[in-house]
Amino acid sequence: MSNDNTTGGGGLARRLNPLRLPLRHRLGLLGLAGMAVLPRLVSTSFVVTLSLAYFWGVYAMSWDVVSGYTGQISFGHGVFFAVGGYTSALLNLGYGIDPVLSIPVGVVLAAAAGLIIGVPALRLRGPYLSLVTLVAPLILTQVFIFRSDVFNGEQGLSGVSPLFGLQTFGGEVAFYYVAFGLFVFVLAVLLLVTRTDAGAVLTAIREDPDTVAASGLNPSKFKIMAFVLSAAIGGLAGAVIVHTPSGNASPTTLMTITVNVEVIIAAILGGMGTIVGAGVGGILLILLREQLAGIAWTVPVIGQPVSDINFLVFALITLVLLFVMPGGIVRTAIIAGRRVLDRGSGEDTVATDGGTAPARRVYERYTDRLRAAFGGDDR
Amino acid sequence: MANILQFFVQSTIRSGLYALVAIGFTLIFGVGGVLNLAHGASILVGAYGVYFSVSVLGLPTAVGFLAGVAAAGVFGAILYLGLIEQFTTEPIMVMILTLVTSIAVELLVLNTAGAQPVAIPQFASGNFSLAGTNVQFNQLAIFVISWVIIGALFAFINYTRTGKAILAVSMSEKGASLVGIDSHRINLITWVIAGALAGVAGIALGSQLAASPVLGRTPLVLSFSIVVLGGIGSIRGSVVGAYLIGFLEVFVIQFVSSDLSGIAPLVVLVLALLVKPEGLFGRELAE
Amino acid sequence: MPDNDIDVVPDDVDDEWSLSRRKAVSAAGAMGAAALAGCSDSTDDGSEASDPLADRDTLRVGVLAPLPSNNPIGASIANGAKLAADQINANDGLDGTELEVIVKDTEEAPQTGRTRYGELIRDENVDVTVGVFTSEVLLAIMDDIAGSKVPHITTGAATPEASAKVNEEYDTYKYHFRAGPINAHHLGENLVDFLDAKIDEIGWDSVAVLVEDYAWTEPVSEVLNDQLADTGVEVAMTQRYPAGTEDFNPIYNEVENSGADAAYLAMAHTGTPAVIQWAQQQRPFEFAGIHVPMQLPSYYDAVNGACAYGVTQNSATPQAAVTDTTVPFADDYNEAYGSYPVYTGYISYDAVNQYADVVSESGDVGGNAVVSGLEDSSYTGTVGTLEYYGRDDEFAHDVKYDEELVWPVFQQWQPDGEGSGTQEVIFPDDLATADYQTPPWI
Repeated sequence: MSNDNTTGGGGLARRLNPLRLPLRHRLGLLGLAGMAVLPRLVSTSFVVTLSLAYFWGVYAMSWDVVSGYTGQISFGHGVFFAVGGYTSALLNLGYGIDPVLSIPVGVVLAAAAGLIIGVPALRLRGPYLSLVTLVAPLILTQVFIFRSDVFNGEQGLSGVSPLFGLQTFGGEVAFYYVAFGLFVFVLAVLLLVTRTDAGAVLTAIREDPDTVAASGLNPSKFKIMAFVLSAAIGGLAGAVIVHTPSGNASPTTLMTITVNVEVIIAAILGGMGTIVGAGVGGILLILLREQLAGIAWTVPVIGQPVSDINFLVFALITLVLLFVMPGGIVRTAIIAGRRVLDRGSGEDTVATDGGTAPARRVYERYTDRLRAAFGGDDR
Repeated sequence: MANILQFFVQSTIRSGLYALVAIGFTLIFGVGGVLNLAHGASILVGAYGVYFSVSVLGLPTAVGFLAGVAAAGVFGAILYLGLIEQFTTEPIMVMILTLVTSIAVELLVLNTAGAQPVAIPQFASGNFSLAGTNVQFNQLAIFVISWVIIGALFAFINYTRTGKAILAVSMSEKGASLVGIDSHRINLITWVIAGALAGVAGIALGSQLAASPVLGRTPLVLSFSIVVLGGIGSIRGSVVGAYLIGFLEVFVIQFVSSDLSGIAPLVVLVLALLVKPEGLFGRELAE
Repeated sequence: MPDNDIDVVPDDVDDEWSLSRRKAVSAAGAMGAAALAGCSDSTDDGSEASDPLADRDTLRVGVLAPLPSNNPIGASIANGAKLAADQINANDGLDGTELEVIVKDTEEAPQTGRTRYGELIRDENVDVTVGVFTSEVLLAIMDDIAGSKVPHITTGAATPEASAKVNEEYDTYKYHFRAGPINAHHLGENLVDFLDAKIDEIGWDSVAVLVEDYAWTEPVSEVLNDQLADTGVEVAMTQRYPAGTEDFNPIYNEVENSGADAAYLAMAHTGTPAVIQWAQQQRPFEFAGIHVPMQLPSYYDAVNGACAYGVTQNSATPQAAVTDTTVPFADDYNEAYGSYPVYTGYISYDAVNQYADVVSESGDVGGNAVVSGLEDSSYTGTVGTLEYYGRDDEFAHDVKYDEELVWPVFQQWQPDGEGSGTQEVIFPDDLATADYQTPPWI
């Protein structure tokens, strides 16, 4: 696990003090600050793309908290997005309830769905659980098709009120901050949960549930907690996105097999079991996909422009990346970053295991030095 | 009474196809312990292999069938050598990789053959009336092929050296290695056979329904349901599972609502997983 | 997020001033006053004001089409619009103003359609948008069309929900027009009219109505339920089958059990497996109605002749001179793109031409001018004469369905004896090229 080994001593406030944060965390904060002012620097279209990207960051993080931490791989996280999104959209369309009120209802129902799927799933291990989660969105889709008078089948619901009455054209920046705010909020919540003792327990469950049980903790309780938290956050993202131009309440946006796979890919590519990695992965996934959609170069054998087959290219890139960086982009970057830092000090003996004491010392020394060089504003 | 007869005829016909669809999936789950989410992709390769050889290249239909089956077999080999072998100890990674692969194959088909469904030649044309219901000769042919393949597979596994080796590896890979069985080779053989069987299933499905880029999705889910119901890795169990699901589906279509036909196997799958995860004929997963 | 600032501007204020103000206000609400200066990036597109054509070097036409590289319906939308623009430009444009066509792929998905529509408005600054296949995509962008105030001409979605919005909230939704196909209510009437005229000649006593469960077929079902029996034919069975149906076996068994002489259809998305299974299984009933894939001129070879003897309604075909321009357009299209267009090609071609006609007439490309220009326009294109219902009609801004204006043809796929087939027109009688043929296995 790449997460910080400094658990134990020190209160929360002390750990969150930017002065004491390790370099990568400071870089992360800097990145967030940069993202907050981005709309001033980039085109409106890019602002729109980024808004969608933040939602995907949240999707991936919500997946990560259950699958990355407890090892219970969910292949159907879209169910939670869909429960949140459809609940909010139906309440808004059917009863004219303002999104601000219908979204929380969506979150509650999504959490309930997490409980419904999570509790029985505890009986199952490994691929069996994954099968249940893989099938759950298919069942929900069938229900949507069967009751298309309510759910409008595969095409989903449109004409839902936008959040805060914002307009698609003119409201782009406001929607950006909605998405960004959601992203930061979820990131903060999940970091708090996973970087405290609960996170350590969750990780331990993944590694060896029996040991956890032996130490007097009830792994089931923690697993269910992770499931419900994850479902609630996924439901929140789904409920919010249907009230923005980034998405609508349809299986295509919320829970097709493609969505479910992309969420997993995002989290794995970014770095499973790190929250931050999943968030970054979600954002990168959308940016990469949009980049591909803009390439007009024609692929020889197939005879079609990349823009028309962007998802195919994306799937292939993913396959390659999964081979090259099974640990994820963020983890790879951190390790690579450490290597660079280590090389500077001439101590090539430091391994890339990312957690040994010598590596840590060297790393701390260099972060201190960098802090002195760049961190004037901290004082 | 006529309804009941009709029900039995339609169910039996449908179940034969389902057994054919699930059998390759079972084989791989049983031997390698791998949940092959690219099973639908193999089905797609089989169906479109025929489409490309017959409709695009203009080869004779029989050659086209062989080409489709061969393409699916080769695809199985590529999957095993290219992906599965690298990640034998990481079942989740295998699931993800096979899922991404199947999406990639779907997209490849979509972008080469188009989104519109295409016709696949039938094994036999025409139809006849049986017990007051319409039965096509093609359906009958599929039913026969299904049983021939099931029989051949039984014979192969129980009476040939390679077949017995497959059985040994499925029981214990370590044990098999101890007695000198090359489990790598056996796994590869299994993947090729399973791929080819999926190819046959793809041709059967395509000839019955027409092939489209999403042809493999429903069969994949069906295979889950059948295999979980019948018991992981048990060929006999899958055949029984296929018949149970086939009968259930026709029952729902005929006596409840055809709108619900897609949901029935899914519900069975979830119930089976929750109530009796080891299936009707399965053994506990070795791990 | 302080949202109170945003709500002070009512949504229905739609003069120029409020649009830019709303932008500024929402931006301020989100970012705080300090950021305001950097945010007033785009100026108003001025769609409300007069916008003289003479001031423009180019007019930008945005096109929304599904998978234009491998879906014939999408390709026809894109190429039909392009061909119209090319021909206008080759003819010195609109008094020197060239048309530029920008195509975006909706992937037939509502959300993608919405994203691409946003790109057309935001990045491409288009003056008009044309296209959209499937009602679901259209409904997803209706509010954005209202928000952008850029005129939109639909050429491939039939739902009357769009025109109902125009009728109910005219000032908000007036930018939407439908050049074709005739809306779904009229599609249903057209099916009734066809059967009414041809029932004696074809000789069916009873039909089984099979309708795919998508938004566009709801009014079709309503009309068929209400009026089909009036033609004297017995309706032996009616089924709306679920979206995405692949296996038609159970449905066809039911049709056979019902004893119907023919299946009477409304199918677009699910049509191909339906016709392939009908033909390969040689089902003992005939096959007619609205079957969108069967309208495709290259369909016979694509499905190995499975569509032989199937009948579908169509807006226009290369065989029928609906107007003087129908066949020349089809030939020009074939020459330019190597295949004949489907119905969306004719309609999109007409839509761009009618738009060009309207703006060169008024000399004004502003939104209001285009809307009132189209309302008053009567333009004879390739599918007939396009006129639109007025704002007080329940089908406001939909193309008029009338024997003298737009009157679709019905065509049957008939084998040509050389291993291929042709689309023969069987209705209306003045355009008919052949008589109806019963499938030989019945």
